[in-house]
Amino acid sequence: MAEYILELRGITKIFPGVKALNNVQFQLRPGEVHALMGENGAGKSTFIKVITGVHKAEEGEMFLNGEKVNFRGTKDAQAAGIAAVYQHPTSYPDLTVAENIFIGHEISKAGILNWRAMNKEAQKYLDQLDADFKSTAEMGNLSVAQQQIVEIAKAISTHAKIIILDEPTAALTANESEKLYKIVDQLKAEGVSIIFISHRFEDMYRLADRVSVLRDAQYIGTYGVNEISNADLIKAMVGREISDMFPKSEIEPGEEVLRIEKCTRTGYFKDVSLNVRAGEIVGLTGLVGAGRTEVMEAVCGITKLKSGKIFLNGEEIKIKNPTKSKDKGVILLPEDRRKTGLITSWGLGRNVTLPILKKFIKFGFFNEKKERETAKEFLESVDTKAVSVFDAASTLSGGNQQKVVVAKALAQDNMKVVIMDEPTKGVDVGAKAEIYQIMDNLAKEGYGIIMISSEMPEILGMCDRIYVMCNGRVTAELKRGEATQELILEHAMEKSEKEVAAK
Amino acid sequence: MAGKSGRTINATPSNRLKGAILSWEGLLVLIFIAVVIFCRIISPNYTVENVLREMPKYLSEIFLFFPMAFILMLGEIDISVGSIVCLSATAGCLFSNMGLSFPLVIVTILLVGTICGAINALLITRFPELPSMIITLGTQIIFRGIAEIALGDGGSVAVTDFKGFMSIAGKIGPFPYMFFLVLISAVIFTVISVKMRYGREVMAVGSNRDTSYYSGIKVRRVIFIAYTVMGLMAGVAALFLTAASYGANTTTGTGFEMDAIAMAVFGGIATTGGKGRMVGGIISAFIIVCLRIGLGQINLNSQLILLIIGVLLIFAVLLPNISAMIKAKQKTKAAK
Repeated sequence: MAEYILELRGITKIFPGVKALNNVQFQLRPGEVHALMGENGAGKSTFIKVITGVHKAEEGEMFLNGEKVNFRGTKDAQAAGIAAVYQHPTSYPDLTVAENIFIGHEISKAGILNWRAMNKEAQKYLDQLDADFKSTAEMGNLSVAQQQIVEIAKAISTHAKIIILDEPTAALTANESEKLYKIVDQLKAEGVSIIFISHRFEDMYRLADRVSVLRDAQYIGTYGVNEISNADLIKAMVGREISDMFPKSEIEPGEEVLRIEKCTRTGYFKDVSLNVRAGEIVGLTGLVGAGRTEVMEAVCGITKLKSGKIFLNGEEIKIKNPTKSKDKGVILLPEDRRKTGLITSWGLGRNVTLPILKKFIKFGFFNEKKERETAKEFLESVDTKAVSVFDAASTLSGGNQQKVVVAKALAQDNMKVVIMDEPTKGVDVGAKAEIYQIMDNLAKEGYGIIMISSEMPEILGMCDRIYVMCNGRVTAELKRGEATQELILEHAMEKSEKEVAAK
Repeated sequence: MAGKSGRTINATPSNRLKGAILSWEGLLVLIFIAVVIFCRIISPNYTVENVLREMPKYLSEIFLFFPMAFILMLGEIDISVGSIVCLSATAGCLFSNMGLSFPLVIVTILLVGTICGAINALLITRFPELPSMIITLGTQIIFRGIAEIALGDGGSVAVTDFKGFMSIAGKIGPFPYMFFLVLISAVIFTVISVKMRYGREVMAVGSNRDTSYYSGIKVRRVIFIAYTVMGLMAGVAALFLTAASYGANTTTGTGFEMDAIAMAVFGGIATTGGKGRMVGGIISAFIIVCLRIGLGQINLNSQLILLIIGVLLIFAVLLPNISAMIKAKQKTKAAK
């Protein structure tokens, strides 16, 4: 038996204008769990697609059990025992679990499908995976985690020797992830080799034997998981040392810029009061659904407050709609960049200038040159990785899209308060550090910053003060230093636990 | 706060000449030339003078195309415009026959159109959860219904005071006045669309309404203006239509909304919003007008003309899809 069940050498894949993979190599041992890591856009997905026969590499060789293979399509890869489970399950929601598992390789006799045999066979796989649903259940009724189990069952049903998992835990809760880990362990014990892509270091430490790192379409190296430190691994992925993930400067906060008093929106939040001073970063945290986003959207006029007062620089203001909020200099950077932050089909430049069109109008006409120059200036000021201001926003990675949203806020020169809703959601580790740096710079320049976040490390690492919300109320206000993960969680769950106890 | 990597972003537009020729609009110009040649071959009467003489019959619909383009770019639709034309024309004729002076008749026609448009605008911005297709279907029936009541039993009205209407049906050389007004409108609407703030806001709202709203664009106002201008231009169309036919009846303006939409779609303006250019629609409007005149000259039955235009329209909508399909096929072939 060959040393490697799968080996790729010198893989180069060229898309029009870009080298998506440049001389990449990879070795997979039989029965090993191999993590593939790298930032967004490093080429992981393309590499997986070369292995599964979706893409054909321009250069390079692939060996399966020591024999050279040449996949012409996904069928070839499947026949060779390679199966992939993608991040977003690619299933048919209206069909049953068994139908989904056997699609493309149905059991039939004389052209007639044998459903009974398929249901039974599918149930066998599900039992093997300790699934809590039946093979006759409708796919669309299952949770994401359950659908993923179906995908894995589908891989087993094709007798795959190599299973590729693409960000399997991205949409799972901690409990569901734990279950997935068990399944992976079990598959490994049965001699299946596994490649998985993940952004979560936790996954890698828990599962992988070895880890290969890609960066900018290049192969960086393969390391034993126990032999490499976290910092070295990040350095390999990002290409530079991130000495300080949270570059929080000591800034003496100035005057209060924004204060909201006893704000209520029926059904969403009640009696919420908070404030932020110039140069201060204030965190707003709590469990998902605690009402954090709702408070800030109401403050910015996107929805209506039932009661409450808003003060800007000590003066009471009324914000009836987002236009008013913009005019007053209270800028919201929404959580969902694709839906509410950017027009993804537009170029970056026009996205940046969208709230400030007025500035480029002279005698009713656009000065487009001035518009482009302004956009360029602000995009560069946050170090956006893009070729030109005409690049469509949809082509950027999550981190760079976030930078464009920041540039769009900065371009509004009357800005006083920046409200960032989950600014690092879907952003990879290198870009995260850059966004924290941008936040720190904003604080230094005297903006008041409110960050809504569910990520404990960034709340603890970046904020001067932290408000914790639970069930639509502020349950705690903690200072930097006094706040700990446990303390925050305690306040974030306060009410709901009491309610549970009362029941 | 300069970028620490010193990375620069290009802000100079690339040379777009090649792109312009290869674009949908470039293709439309070729189609336009082909249609003119085709008509010249099938009809010996297809001369510049004859075409210009017959043009007023068809030109009034182009007035509807301009604001319709904005409405489609917004991702909305207005199917009530044919009825607005009918109601405005009816009101104009009736008031004229009651002895109103011609300038006031013009004001009446434009005002009735604008009010109808504003009613649509009000309903659509007040009830954003209702599709504009349904709202304007309702007003389509209502506006025509009012016109029919006003027209009474005969179902038609003829203007008794020809003079005024004749004055706007005049010509400068071989060109009817209306032709110039269409050109002026084309320039105005194109400039608004590409060079002015409103045009950009229309595209923003059509591309992503939520992002536009969050960015402080007054989404409701943008939509309100588009529908009100639609009404005003329906009034303009009604004015010239009345001047060409010296009257109005219950079928005045029937199907105009669909023609205006067809011109826009043929011109590459997607009904889903955020896509297309005014220029494409203007070229395609003239393609449709010229084709109609040419086919009309050889006495082709009018139903058949409609059929040909329908086929062309479906072809135009499918073409980008077909080319995408071919490209995808080539790609998979290359991948294999």
